[in-house]
Amino acid sequence: MKHRLLGQLSNPRNASRQACLSGALALLMLTGCGRRDAHVKYERPSEVHDFATLFAQNCSGCHGAEGELGAAPPLADPLFLAIIPETEFTRVVSEGRTATLMPAFAREHGGELTDEQIGILVRGIRSKWGSSEGVGPGPLPDYLAQAGTGEAPSSENREAALQVFASVCGNCHGPRGQGGKEAGPIRDRAFLTLISDQALRRIVITGRRDLGMPDYRRLGDLLPAGQPLSNQQIADMVALLGSWRQAHEEIPQAAAATGGQ
Amino acid sequence: MRSPFGTVFSWLDLRLGLRSAVWPILTHPVPRGLGWFYVFGSATLTMFTLQIITGICLAVVYVPAANDAYTSLLYLNNEQPLGWLLRAVHYWSASGMVVMLALHATRVFLMGAFKYPRELTWLLGVGLLFLTLGLAFTGQVLRWDQDAYWGIGVGAAMMGRVPVIGPTLVHVLLGGPNIGGETLSRFFGLHVFILPALTIFVLVPHLYLVVRQGISSRPVPGKVVDPKTYAAEYERDLAEGEPFFPYDVSKDALFSALAVLVVFALAISFGPKGPNGPPDPTLVAAEPRPDWYFLPLFALLALSPPEMETAIMLVMPLVLVAGLVLLPFVASRGERSPRRRPVAVLSVVLLFVTYGVLAWLGAVAPWSPDMTAWSGTPIPPHMVKDLAPLQLQGAAVLQNKTCRNCHALDGEGGKRGPDLTTVASRLTRDELIRQVIQGGGNMPAYGKQLAPAEVEALVSFLGTLQTPGEPSPRAADAAAR
Repeated sequence: MKHRLLGQLSNPRNASRQACLSGALALLMLTGCGRRDAHVKYERPSEVHDFATLFAQNCSGCHGAEGELGAAPPLADPLFLAIIPETEFTRVVSEGRTATLMPAFAREHGGELTDEQIGILVRGIRSKWGSSEGVGPGPLPDYLAQAGTGEAPSSENREAALQVFASVCGNCHGPRGQGGKEAGPIRDRAFLTLISDQALRRIVITGRRDLGMPDYRRLGDLLPAGQPLSNQQIADMVALLGSWRQAHEEIPQAAAATGGQ
Repeated sequence: MRSPFGTVFSWLDLRLGLRSAVWPILTHPVPRGLGWFYVFGSATLTMFTLQIITGICLAVVYVPAANDAYTSLLYLNNEQPLGWLLRAVHYWSASGMVVMLALHATRVFLMGAFKYPRELTWLLGVGLLFLTLGLAFTGQVLRWDQDAYWGIGVGAAMMGRVPVIGPTLVHVLLGGPNIGGETLSRFFGLHVFILPALTIFVLVPHLYLVVRQGISSRPVPGKVVDPKTYAAEYERDLAEGEPFFPYDVSKDALFSALAVLVVFALAISFGPKGPNGPPDPTLVAAEPRPDWYFLPLFALLALSPPEMETAIMLVMPLVLVAGLVLLPFVASRGERSPRRRPVAVLSVVLLFVTYGVLAWLGAVAPWSPDMTAWSGTPIPPHMVKDLAPLQLQGAAVLQNKTCRNCHALDGEGGKRGPDLTTVASRLTRDELIRQVIQGGGNMPAYGKQLAPAEVEALVSFLGTLQTPGEPSPRAADAAAR
């Protein structure tokens, strides 16, 4: 034999080693790790029914990977989940929020999700982050503004509202909302243009747990009475902010938000 | 006393004359000291044989119909006993065949084995190279998934650019005006009958010539090829040589066996490729990629400027083919050793480096927007923590208006545009506004898609993205006002 390598391979003394190798290969073949698992197959986007996957693909971009610390208000917020009615929650996901950046996700509104998938998301968010703890005792404020509230306050009410604003919001956002050490300005036309009254109401009630903004209870503690903010006070704050949206010059409303094109 | 096998063999040999026909071919003398670089051709043949065997087995189960192809592949993967292995071996062996062929062709080129008197062997080899690539492409189409669908789309679009006959060619290739069941039938016919038959048809004379002209001696620097003296020199080499069987063939056999083992090891470890998503053009989240051997072309087509596309698609292949065909005529004599042929060595290095870089780009495909980043790639929490309300809205604008599909933050998101993690260290507020509204470079103008408040919010958020502890142009900008 010419080659040492060839000589070694054809040496009968190595037969047992070769047998072992062949046996191992055959065994590998039967239990191959490259074997395809029948359960792991391609899923069409409309067939994805796993909450974690749906949330990661559709919500985490704005609301954060864990439902908080995103650009948009947190979904990992028991208070928010306690006050928002189921139908309203489903509607917001399906149709989006008008005059905000929350896009519509239902197919009939230009999104990409089926009603079933939206149901999975809404129920999944509730079961993952909703809890009676962290909501606190006593009656909760209404999520949706009552009819008749939310109009711009009259001049004397406006003074009162400004007082409340200075005590409740002024600590962080500055007494006139122009921005303070703790938080940036909210008396900002661009900001107010991009957020609807309903979204403002939600923020006033729930605060932003993830960014350190207190909820309506702790905000109420800043007032002399030390009571949680009432529905009326919440509506007044929102109305006051809304009145700052109207500027001396006309700013067009943000284009209706639709995502994904 | 003869063994039964011996009896049968003698009976056959008396009638077929196998011994007298095959034995001299097997034991034809080859020059001495060829080394291990001469094994790649036989390994390519081994892979091809493996392809034929596994291909026939696959064709028994595979259904070449638009509605059933995908299902029959899933059946092979999941139901058919060892069907997954069959598909896996067919895929990895195809890759192995392309690799071995590339090594074989490179070796022949570098060692000048294409020179006199082996020009015709080289020409047939070039034919085999393109037939192999044709088999690879048509095989990829039979996988009948998203990659296959969009792959044909690209192939057809390229073909449609051929002057005058382009549209007709596309019609013939697709079996109609668009990709459908007829397309699959065409490609099945090509992959299973036409191309393998042509390959065998070219391979037989290629092998005949290898035996007829003999295996080239080792190239020696200073020993030049000259048709006048070549025959005498080669005869001398053969006189000092050794019979092909059993000496040199053992190297081929060992390497081929090793190659088959590697193919099986890869097939067992990684399994078959695909099928990925079904070939449905409505699934916009598809990220089609051709098989690895076509990745460089994929990258080249994506990166070529529009005015050069047609030249790259139609002229470049012609130049390449012409170069390969003319090579043995232009350089049929002279030095064979790579030590004396720097241009040959450099062109091989250049070719492989180009191929590698383009393949890597094709695998990464940074030009491809990440279509799901806008809703599925969170903003890094540390960027959100200290934002003012307007800046938070701006971050939401960045997501909602699909900026993330092309722009990454902390490396997460699309790679088509620059990463925005420190954009405020590069651009002032005014420059940011201008870039968003008017676009520039590869970026479209977003002025019409964004309301003024959205632009303000977005720019206000982008303004927070700067390198920590570095004076930003924005600060200087503000100070100047």
